[in-house]
Amino acid sequence: MQQAETLSARPARRVRWMNRDRAIALLMIAPSALAIAVFVYGFIGWTAYISMTDWRGLAISTSFVGFDNYLTIFSTGRFQTNIRNLIVFTLFFLASCLVIGLLLAVLVDARIRFEGFFRSVYIFPMALSFIVTGVVWQWLFAPGNWPNDPTGINLLFKQSGLGFLQAAWTTDTNVVPGWRIEGLRTRIGIPMAMIPVVVAAVWQMSGFVMAMYLAGLRGIPDEIKEAARVDGATEWQVFRHITLPMLQPITLSAVIILGHISLKIFDLIITMTGGAPGNNTEVPGLYMYEITFKANKFAEGAAVAMVMLVVVALLVVPYLIYNRRTEVER
Amino acid sequence: MASIKFDHVWKRFGDFAALKDFTLDVADQEFLVLVGPSGCGKTTALRCLAGLEEVTSGTIMIGDRVVNDIPPKDRDIAMVFQSYALYPHMSVYDNMAFGLKLRKIPKAEIDRRVKEAAEMLQIGHLLDRKPKALSGGQRQRVALGRAIVRHPSVFLMDEPLSNLDAKLRVQTRAEISKLHQRLKTTFIYVTHDQTEAMTMGTRIAVMRDGVLQQLDTPQNLYDHPANMFVAGFIGSPSMNFFEATLVRGDGQVLVDFGPFQLPVPPSRIDAIADHIGMPIFFGIRPEDIHDAHYVPRGVDESARLMTTVNVVEPLGSEVYAYVENGGKEMVARLDPRTKARTGEVLEIIIDMSKMHIFDRDTERALI
Amino acid sequence: MSSVAIPAPGRRRIRWSRVVVYSLILAFLLFFLLPVYLLLITSFKSFDQVSLSRMWDLPTSFSLESFNRAWNGGEGVIGMRGSFWNSVQMVVPATVISCILGSLNGYVLSKWRFPGSETLFTLILFGMFIPYQSILVPLVEVLREIRLYATIPGLVLVHVVYGIPITTLIFRNYYATVPNELVEAAKIDGADFFGIYRSVMLPLSAPGFVVVAIWQFTSIWNEFLFGLIITNDPQLRPVTVALQNLSGSQFTQWNVQMAGALLVALPPLLVYIFLGKYFLRGLLAGSLKG
Repeated sequence: MQQAETLSARPARRVRWMNRDRAIALLMIAPSALAIAVFVYGFIGWTAYISMTDWRGLAISTSFVGFDNYLTIFSTGRFQTNIRNLIVFTLFFLASCLVIGLLLAVLVDARIRFEGFFRSVYIFPMALSFIVTGVVWQWLFAPGNWPNDPTGINLLFKQSGLGFLQAAWTTDTNVVPGWRIEGLRTRIGIPMAMIPVVVAAVWQMSGFVMAMYLAGLRGIPDEIKEAARVDGATEWQVFRHITLPMLQPITLSAVIILGHISLKIFDLIITMTGGAPGNNTEVPGLYMYEITFKANKFAEGAAVAMVMLVVVALLVVPYLIYNRRTEVER
Repeated sequence: MASIKFDHVWKRFGDFAALKDFTLDVADQEFLVLVGPSGCGKTTALRCLAGLEEVTSGTIMIGDRVVNDIPPKDRDIAMVFQSYALYPHMSVYDNMAFGLKLRKIPKAEIDRRVKEAAEMLQIGHLLDRKPKALSGGQRQRVALGRAIVRHPSVFLMDEPLSNLDAKLRVQTRAEISKLHQRLKTTFIYVTHDQTEAMTMGTRIAVMRDGVLQQLDTPQNLYDHPANMFVAGFIGSPSMNFFEATLVRGDGQVLVDFGPFQLPVPPSRIDAIADHIGMPIFFGIRPEDIHDAHYVPRGVDESARLMTTVNVVEPLGSEVYAYVENGGKEMVARLDPRTKARTGEVLEIIIDMSKMHIFDRDTERALI
Repeated sequence: MSSVAIPAPGRRRIRWSRVVVYSLILAFLLFFLLPVYLLLITSFKSFDQVSLSRMWDLPTSFSLESFNRAWNGGEGVIGMRGSFWNSVQMVVPATVISCILGSLNGYVLSKWRFPGSETLFTLILFGMFIPYQSILVPLVEVLREIRLYATIPGLVLVHVVYGIPITTLIFRNYYATVPNELVEAAKIDGADFFGIYRSVMLPLSAPGFVVVAIWQFTSIWNEFLFGLIITNDPQLRPVTVALQNLSGSQFTQWNVQMAGALLVALPPLLVYIFLGKYFLRGLLAGSLKG
């Protein structure tokens, strides 16, 4: 490929030169494009196909059953519980990360000393695996024989005189408020055992949100805030009417990223609770694994996987298209 | 009442003093320009007045209030920033309405004021747009509009024209002046451009290194600069300066430049009497140096000099000529009919009645 | 009048707002460091000091028993030593290959645009977001067919392929900041596709490679699902799977689990401590800003 000769005098030859490079460029990206085409889109299609068969265990032949599997899983109490748990987890996780992330960013931005140190501490959990997080927080939230012989943070509360804060945490079987609705086979409300899981996830990810908001806060020109102050705004009003709206793009990015992580969550759950107690902390990501690789119900597992994919796509695809359109404008 | 008073104001940033004993009185409804080179402290003075910086010592008064401890929002001021600082996420209308909404002014009144200002600035058709969809000139008007609707006691402007192209700048200069006449409010205007300062200000404060050099009307600054800095700053091309001595000879008083001498006109002799025999700086503006053949009527023709022409710059309405004698070079603004050519000899006449003398050590004006 | 320059423009801050700020900062510091504290004191306790009811007590003596058990195994516990090596064998090749791929892809997509290149990029990018559950079963089938199932090379292949979106994204955005004039100048000088890459892009790529390498190293080391599905064999599984196994088992004492967790966390943490600046850049790059 080495052609370091000087420019030829004939323009026609140079145009052909460019085309050759173009061809090489296409050739270079082709393997990746192909890999993605197969390993992402091809496999998705295949899973979709499996989800519409009745493949179970070692069945040699399978037949097409349309959307039966979907109807089946949506009618089970277990999957409905999964969905309820996922909704609870996602909402609490997202809200907490955004609020705490923004709060940390504002605090760190307030010209504190040793800013670099605090920033590093808040972000470091991002370097850990969900498995590590799960192991440690599992023990933090293990309640022990509370209130008399507790362990974990219950013990910490007791030892520091805050014993009234003890709770069942990951062993809590309550769902608050726990209403039964006709037609649904799960209780509506917040499974209390999910709270510790949310805390662990927020501990891991809020530093990331902080980093994003911090970059955003520092990107707001001082003069705009000064103009607002001259216009009559108090510091709070500057924050609410100027800073916060200008951070919207970041909030959107954070929601998309946290959202898709939250919808796929598996590692953390399997380590911290395994889905227990009952199925109060089980989510589709975990359920798919159990039903596919433990129970060998491949078709139903595929259906669960496809549901997960559709939900994630609903979140991400509009954002990708919007992002692309605004980039074209630039 | 929106007079303004800086009383012995000092502003320090660590060891660096941006404003040194700055004292200034601005009358109500004046258009005061703060002018000077970069780093002279003009923007610092403006920001201290706005409350965006705290003064290290001294007091600032707006009207009859001392405002040192009053936050910007309560000083009843409006400011136009150099970068306009428009709120990017709000429409033009909302940009202008923001300050009024914060003060809980009724919606109808807000609407009236915004529309009024928009009409004044001819941006009524842009009210729904966002700043990023506007040109530089349009953004500048929105920044002005945002200030106008507040009906403040004082308008502060920080180099509002510097981001505009030359033609737009000239246009907008006139519009701001008209605005001042129409609104009858005090304007404090910061610029580094002496042309802007001269054309717009009722009075001009020339600053250098944090120190006020001279506060005066444009004409007075031109005719009677207080020191060499002001003399050289105001007027374009700058005043010509020479090291010289005042001497007596042949019954006259002369300015001795070394290679040549020029007579002091009788009308000025009394004024300079005390300084005869001393070394001084001599200053004469280019417009007071004439081609000997095209001297305007009334100018005393006794101060004549033969010079060699080094550079000729024709401007159409006049000619700038760089001429020299004995190594002393000067710029002259000549009548366009002049026959001056590069390399040729030109006889010039210097209007000594317009001469300026400055002390060699302090650079202060002596007459 | 105070002669101290107040840092923030505007009025003087009331002292106690600083108190609030620092209180909150420290409160959060406690929250973030509490698990670290527990992890450290537990891992360094000897077996007889370990007790759930005295969880928060500092170790009376410094002991490496827990680490030893976690690393080497014993008493029914499989040590993690083997899985560490598995992880290394998996992470290093996968990181190197996906860096190279990402760089080439980023180069093509940023400097050699063709009709549809933006669409292609978006389609590739989507691969970053999909739940891997939706491709697992076909993946296993295909890996079986090509005899890479339950092998470490198979795991490497998987991580390389699914790492393409993020590495391409980071490099593409990074190369987009290289002025096109440099590329055009090289073209005029006679450089071809690879010549430009070698003379213009590569010399500038060092920061890009560091960011991507760190990101991939951390992601792949910490990954669990693929490791679980493709190599659950104790001989072949990566550290995350081994750790999860350790934590789910009845036999393992919880201090061993903590020591194991610390061991697994160590490599990415070390990278974070020494190269944190680049880690952060990778984080923010993945947030799709531009």
